[in-house]
Amino acid sequence: MSGNISRPSYAAERSGSGVGSAIGRVIAYIVLTLLVVMIVYPMAWAVLNGFKTNLELFSNPWGLPASWHWDNFVTAWNLGVVRYLMNSVIVTVASTVAVILFSAMSAYALTRRKIPFANAITVMLLGGMMLAPAVALVPLFRLLQALHIFNTYWALIILYTAFRIPFTVFLIRAYMITLSKEMEDAAIVDGANTWQIFWLVIMPLSRPIIVSAALLHALFAWNEFAFALVFINSNDLKTLPVGLLQMQGRVLSDWPVLFAALVIASIPMILLFLAGQRQFIRGLSEGFGKG
Amino acid sequence: MTGRSRLGRWPMLLWVAPALALLVVFVYYPVVENFRLSLFKWSAFSKEQFVGLDNYAHMVADPVFWGALFNNVAYAVVSVVCQVFGGLVLAAVLEELVRGRLKGILRTIYFIPAVLSLTVVGLLFTFIYNPQIGLVNGFLGAVGLSQFQHSWLGESATAIWSIIAMSQWQNVGYMMVLFIVAMQRVPRELYEAAYIDGASRIEAFRRITIPLVREMTLLAMIITISGAFLVLNEVWVMTAGGPDNASQTLASWLYKSAFFNDKMGYAATIAVAIFIITMAASIVQLFLNRGKSVQY
Amino acid sequence: MTIGKRLAGLLATAALIVTACGGSSATAAPPAASTGASSGASTVPSAVPSSAGSASSAAPALSGSITVLDKYGDPRYAPYFDGVAAAYMAANPNVKVTIDHETDQGVKDKLTAMAASNSLPDIYFSWAGDYTKKFVRAGMALDLTAKVTGDWLNSFGSAALSAYTYDGKLYGVPITLDAKYLAYNKKMFSDNGIAVPTTLEELLSACDAFTAKGIKQPIAFGNQFGWPAIHYMTQLNAYDVPAATLATDYNPATGAFTDPGYLKALQDFADINQHCLTQGSNGISHENAQANFINSKVPMHYLESVEFSVLTKAGGAPDEIANNWGFMKLPAPSGAAGDTGALEGAPDGFLVNANSPHVDIAVDFLKFLTSLDNAQKLTKDLGWLSPIKGSATADNTFPQNIQVVDDISKASSMAIWLDTVTQSDVAKAYLDGVQGMLDGKKTPADVVAGVQAAAASAKSSQ
Repeated sequence: MSGNISRPSYAAERSGSGVGSAIGRVIAYIVLTLLVVMIVYPMAWAVLNGFKTNLELFSNPWGLPASWHWDNFVTAWNLGVVRYLMNSVIVTVASTVAVILFSAMSAYALTRRKIPFANAITVMLLGGMMLAPAVALVPLFRLLQALHIFNTYWALIILYTAFRIPFTVFLIRAYMITLSKEMEDAAIVDGANTWQIFWLVIMPLSRPIIVSAALLHALFAWNEFAFALVFINSNDLKTLPVGLLQMQGRVLSDWPVLFAALVIASIPMILLFLAGQRQFIRGLSEGFGKG
Repeated sequence: MTGRSRLGRWPMLLWVAPALALLVVFVYYPVVENFRLSLFKWSAFSKEQFVGLDNYAHMVADPVFWGALFNNVAYAVVSVVCQVFGGLVLAAVLEELVRGRLKGILRTIYFIPAVLSLTVVGLLFTFIYNPQIGLVNGFLGAVGLSQFQHSWLGESATAIWSIIAMSQWQNVGYMMVLFIVAMQRVPRELYEAAYIDGASRIEAFRRITIPLVREMTLLAMIITISGAFLVLNEVWVMTAGGPDNASQTLASWLYKSAFFNDKMGYAATIAVAIFIITMAASIVQLFLNRGKSVQY
Repeated sequence: MTIGKRLAGLLATAALIVTACGGSSATAAPPAASTGASSGASTVPSAVPSSAGSASSAAPALSGSITVLDKYGDPRYAPYFDGVAAAYMAANPNVKVTIDHETDQGVKDKLTAMAASNSLPDIYFSWAGDYTKKFVRAGMALDLTAKVTGDWLNSFGSAALSAYTYDGKLYGVPITLDAKYLAYNKKMFSDNGIAVPTTLEELLSACDAFTAKGIKQPIAFGNQFGWPAIHYMTQLNAYDVPAATLATDYNPATGAFTDPGYLKALQDFADINQHCLTQGSNGISHENAQANFINSKVPMHYLESVEFSVLTKAGGAPDEIANNWGFMKLPAPSGAAGDTGALEGAPDGFLVNANSPHVDIAVDFLKFLTSLDNAQKLTKDLGWLSPIKGSATADNTFPQNIQVVDDISKASSMAIWLDTVTQSDVAKAYLDGVQGMLDGKKTPADVVAGVQAAAASAKSSQ
């Protein structure tokens, strides 16, 4: 449905009628171009500044670097960006797997099976969407300590999973409801048990929504800030959003290294986006609504 | 039913158990507990002490709280205008005027800021707003408008607006793409019929596009507004709420109260305020959304 | 089910990590013996012929692992501390020392979060003043009086220890000697025919003279995190308020801040801001502003002596500044009511967690860190002065640092940073208030009112 975004525009049929439209078109193009400049220029500026020396940054913030200091990127990498990247990957992957698994299981039970208290459970699972993570910050601070998972990967993995279950169930449930019963019934006739039906029939059929939901969750986990800030103390465990902030404090007098760090940190998501742009946009537009 | 045990439907509960357990322990319990904690006073260095509604009285009298609330409202209003309406117009322009590969390229470029993390964008913009080496002051100086140069994040009059502006930069492309998706679900024949009737593009936009993406627009507004009441990351990265708490938002004031000012109970009270506001937004959303969520 | 399993696994892992560094046959750290007096230093170390410290007594073997939280995450500083930890572990094979490097700004909320979560490390950084006292009051800082004794105790200059001594008990081990100075570019002064000021009034007119010569806002100043302005206030409060009154007000149990000197100090600062300081300072970081002084764009900058190395050739400064800088105390207003001999500054120091299971290792590590050898290395590697007598010599540091040692020894008293010496609510009232003042939103009287209100509520909750 939404994946089709390359439909020919109406411009083809309706080109150039009258002077007013021509002027409007010129203005529109100017605006579109300005917007490109406004978006690209700051990013290009950041990349260029990542190659300068600190002195150069202050004396020549606008120009090209006199020589290209790749060593800033090496310094940034060694200062912990690699560590932060790894932590982000661990937390993102683990919580994505968990949230998809638990949400798909729940959605399956609620939509394809008869389950006691189905309505009450649905309300409970989806109702979580109404609760903002910030509201739970102070109590969670104590709860995680009591459970001895404060300042561990588990803190983030569990919280990211728990807080995103409602939304992910919402997405997957809406999709699973629409699946036809035929293949499932065929599998039952073949003697498949519930678990097998889930893995061999339902999950493959739900692949599009699973991919979208996983991408949405990954984007969320990769960028999450408040929990990562409060529940992780050790530098070794910090994820990118908080690690970069800490890095800013460490290189107060060497900004090009920070620019380099920002560039390194952004590359994975930009690549992922460019590689799976269609999936991404699809996922975002489907997920939009309850984000 | 073959393949099922004689226990009937009960084993199916195991399928929802992990999700329910996580939700109850890590989402519902903390939110309820937060209400209790808001009635206490304690810090990193002292024990809990029941104070009744003192924290609420303090909050009502706290100018920073109201300033933060104002900033959240400002965030919401500007974001609705720039992101929702800006995104809508931008989507229409892109759909109507641009064709072929250029369209795809522009869409990609506009969208890229949305995949950058807020911390990255926030730190990048602290440089862009830097009064000495920043792009904004540099640009103003270059075009002879140096009287408009500011220490953007360092002046209480400009700090929150600078942060809000950054947020528009990051999100307008995202909104635009969402509207493009919605517009492409509008049947093409409607436009063709309108054009045959002699409608101009602007009329077509007004008479066809806007009504048909109306739901999307409503939804986008609600999401943008409730998101604006949770802003923390960019504020904490760019100003930490300064100068003199001028750019504080509810969430950043919550965080600062808890972990800088060491007033945990008060932070829980601010959390209650956030709870009420976001809950109200969700209820409105639910109401608007009822029965028509998947019907484009 | 899943969660339970996860938790169990996770707890097991945690237990493994904690006990991973088992073992027994360790020897105590051989503390670096304090050797004879080095030449050139202004203080005379207590020369002890025999090796000092625990190695001489029948020391128990140390084994276990400790964690240290510092604020030296800057890549210029961290290697020194990592190096000391590595050397200590080499000498104590059964001990593991992990240092978590935070930053100056980051350590503030982290310490609070750790205290609130009972997860303070074995050794943690803390500023002198009420900042440290609140850990003491909560029973989170170990009384070190009986631990820091004998030759180790005598190796410290006395002023440094007093910053971490409360009610006659020592709670922190100072590792630096630090004072705040107005550095100036001698060449820019002489090129412009402007005399180096000796009073606050002369400073203001020197600033005007620079401004008239086209060198606007002649003192480089960035106040992004609020503390740079508070450093001005620290020194000005010491000048404008009688010492006895300051002592009373800086105590949370008795603070009132009603002396007119507090208002005067804020007004003095408003004058300095108006005549001298970089404008828009709340949006500029201290280091950002400093770059303009290093690049000889402005003639003055208020900074700590531990930062002096950035002004030297070895620290990367251009010749134009490296060969031409001097420093002075912030000039005092004439007729000031307080102690004009006071010098702003305080050592950085480490506390030992009272609940640490490895107090012995923690104390031993701090002893190692403050050995004369490591103190000299601190001075040589980082350009920081150490509180250990005889650590700074003409051989291991630049002449200005030797001058600082002398200057500190002559100061009639040391004024500890205003934002750490006061109760935290009072500190916040100052931090926010002065930022608001620089922003033009608050007057000095507003700030005083805010401080008084904070002090009153702090007193009532004592």
